[in-house]
Amino acid sequence: MLTPQLHFIVIDDSKLNCFIAEKLIRNNENSNSVQVFMEATEALEYIKNQPDTESPPRTIIIVDIQMPVMNGFEFVESFEKLPEPIRLQYDIFMISSSVNESDHNRISNYPSVKKLLLKPLTKEILSHIIDFEKN
Amino acid sequence: MENSEKIKVLYVDDEMNNLISFKASFRMKYNIFIANNTTEAFEHLNKNPDIRIIFCDQRMPDKTGVQFFEEIRSSFSKPIRILLTGYADIDAVIDAINLGSVFRYVRKPWAEADILSAINEGNRLYIMNTLIEVKNAELQKAYDELDKFAYSVTHDMRGPLVTILGAVDIAEDMNDISELRQMLNMMKESVNSLNNYIQNIHDYYNVNRGQLQISEINFEDIVNEQLETFKLTAKVNNIRFVTKVSQNEPFRGDPMSMKIILNNLLSNAFKYQKKSNADKMVELEIQIETGVATILVKDNGIGIAGNHIGDIFNMFFRATSEEVGAGFGLYNVKDALLKLNGDINVESILNEGTTFKVILRNK
Repeated sequence: MLTPQLHFIVIDDSKLNCFIAEKLIRNNENSNSVQVFMEATEALEYIKNQPDTESPPRTIIIVDIQMPVMNGFEFVESFEKLPEPIRLQYDIFMISSSVNESDHNRISNYPSVKKLLLKPLTKEILSHIIDFEKN
Repeated sequence: MENSEKIKVLYVDDEMNNLISFKASFRMKYNIFIANNTTEAFEHLNKNPDIRIIFCDQRMPDKTGVQFFEEIRSSFSKPIRILLTGYADIDAVIDAINLGSVFRYVRKPWAEADILSAINEGNRLYIMNTLIEVKNAELQKAYDELDKFAYSVTHDMRGPLVTILGAVDIAEDMNDISELRQMLNMMKESVNSLNNYIQNIHDYYNVNRGQLQISEINFEDIVNEQLETFKLTAKVNNIRFVTKVSQNEPFRGDPMSMKIILNNLLSNAFKYQKKSNADKMVELEIQIETGVATILVKDNGIGIAGNHIGDIFNMFFRATSEEVGAGFGLYNVKDALLKLNGDINVESILNEGTTFKVILRNK
């Protein structure tokens, strides 16, 4: 069965986390591109500056919650203010090394955020994200 | 002078004679305040929040003693309330206990011994309540810190660990040795960050739980110790470390706190350097003059953006992702200074450098 290829943006302030995510995504047969950012502000700029195309690629954003300068929630808040056509190209998955009840409540306010995941990002979690996207 | 050491007692009664004889009987032993009505009583309470014991007559024209006690229960909750009544009025006593939550009931006309014992017992309760209040406040603070600590442990300690775990996981599928080496290097960074974090927690508890150990401080020694600590960092990263000390008088302080303050400020100064800068510099300048130690930690590094200056002393705040940090260091510095009654301020220009100025007073 031919499945459409998925694009990924990973935002994490740890170099190693970015490295791991990049490796995992490249090794997955359903994905074809990955872009990593250690600062959320840069990712936001990148998203804003994507050229308009007829059928933009479906992109998954995996964003860490605890980051300096702009944290995951601040990133999502800015993202939610982007024009709808841009927003609809992306699904956001937030990831953190600790997840508490208030974080879960908080993400329900953001339509672009699909899930809150617990670190570390593994092959299994990545497949889980991809399955979620395919259905 | 003498009055300030005596227990403050307020007596409220509408009969002037009672007030006068009460004051005459007990003024030698206690600091007695008298009020002819509840308005006057409120004036005394407002001016003397440390009144420990209030006697109040039950039958007064403007309001009953029980009503008065009920009224002050929330606004002046600390003084111990004792009702005086000349009538064998069991209902008033029941109300006094249930509504005014009085401590005791003394029958009128009062016997001196009853009043004395009521004051003694009341004072004992007052002291106990005060102690409990202080302990409760301490407990609350400890619980709040524990909450923060639990959060920080799950997050900041688990963070580097799960990152390493993730790396081990993908290492199983990696065959390229140079790529593996590259990853090992990054894993080392995670281990360092965790190690650094644990060291910070250790500092945090030294500042918070430990008592200050005041002793004479020789700043020359302190600076030499720091020179030794940062020698390697300075060499490896090609950073000039300049120190200057001028101490011509003895200075007393807590060496442990001093070490935490200097260590954190210097480690930041060394860490947040501009990589491209050809002349990287960290300067430590200490001057002791008329009982005041002024410590300057200066660098010509990346600086702090103006909108972040206000947050840098907050726990877990990090202004940049350029370097690994836990957001704990400056919090510990501020905490240590709070305990030492010292001050800190910071001047910084983005891309030009940062200067921290610490002021400590001789203990």
